[in-house]
Amino acid sequence: MKELDLLKKDWQKDTNFFEQLSESAIYKMIHKKSSSLVKWILIISLIEFVVLNGISLFINDENIDDFLIKHPYLDLINYVNYIVVISFIIVFYKKYRAITVLDSSKNLIQQIKATRQVVNYYILWNVLIGGFFGVFGIIDGFNNSFTKNNAVNTNIKYILIIIFVLLIMGIIWGFYKLLYGGLLNKLNKNYKELMKIDL
Amino acid sequence: MNESLEQLFVKQLKDNQNIIHKICRLYTSGEDAHKDLFQEITLQLWKAFPKFRGESKFSTWAYRVALNTAITLYRKSTRSISTVDYESKSYFISQEDYNTEEEEQLLLIYKAIHLLNDIEKALVFMYLEDKCYTEIAETLGISEVNTRVKMNRIKGKLKKILNP
Repeated sequence: MKELDLLKKDWQKDTNFFEQLSESAIYKMIHKKSSSLVKWILIISLIEFVVLNGISLFINDENIDDFLIKHPYLDLINYVNYIVVISFIIVFYKKYRAITVLDSSKNLIQQIKATRQVVNYYILWNVLIGGFFGVFGIIDGFNNSFTKNNAVNTNIKYILIIIFVLLIMGIIWGFYKLLYGGLLNKLNKNYKELMKIDL
Repeated sequence: MNESLEQLFVKQLKDNQNIIHKICRLYTSGEDAHKDLFQEITLQLWKAFPKFRGESKFSTWAYRVALNTAITLYRKSTRSISTVDYESKSYFISQEDYNTEEEEQLLLIYKAIHLLNDIEKALVFMYLEDKCYTEIAETLGISEVNTRVKMNRIKGKLKKILNP
């Protein structure tokens, strides 16, 4: 192709055409912070974990204690949730380490794709666990506020439970979309563009 | 030790900075985006530098890090602009042998390359750097046959853009 060869000729001769950076300018550059997306995913997940669990330590609500006494198995599930969330953070860390510019482009893209998947699973897990706890909370709420005198129709009760749980899950989903949405979008844009090429 | 590593890196990068400038030229339009990408590539190179054993030339090693940064880690909205603005015109043309017709042609070719996707740009870059297909294939992580096929497709694509 003659156009590309014309460019190649020009390309190889204009070695000193760019404004040359001095050593001190390069020194300054290497002391700046990188803006790696995966690093941010890791940092945000850690902050989120610490803050959300920190809040629950400070809230000493008797209702919550009562709630957990009433449903002892939920406490167990709570611990399972801790383990799962910590595992996710470990995976984020591993991904952060695994994404290296020294890899071939294809491997790098696959790592990025995998990271995006993991974040999606993490969000899904949080939405589901939130919905799960929500069901118990709402059933309890119903039982407390509706006595036999003002009992509601069972069908309506179920419909309301479903609506409330979906609402809770929606709010949690929205929260995570807000938290990770920007980062995921960037990874996603990357990924879509790269998959078009079918490496 | 760390100090001398830093000195070594800065010196090597200074001597080889045109590689990175050239990559920025293909992947960005406008001075700000060029500087941003240059900054990010420099950082990634520095982070990876302790793993550089000197088995290959600094420039060869830098290709991989720089291209991967441009392809995957760097995202700025400004860089998706595919047209070359007027200001950056002078930036693309070598000033020595002044030849308007050739300049126009080169500008058009750059414009066409800006329309390619990130991987295609990486292929074009290594082609312009006169790299063999084996090395291009290894850097991208695809087979040599696939590299040839893609390069031919890119040439076709550029031809179509340039001669509609």
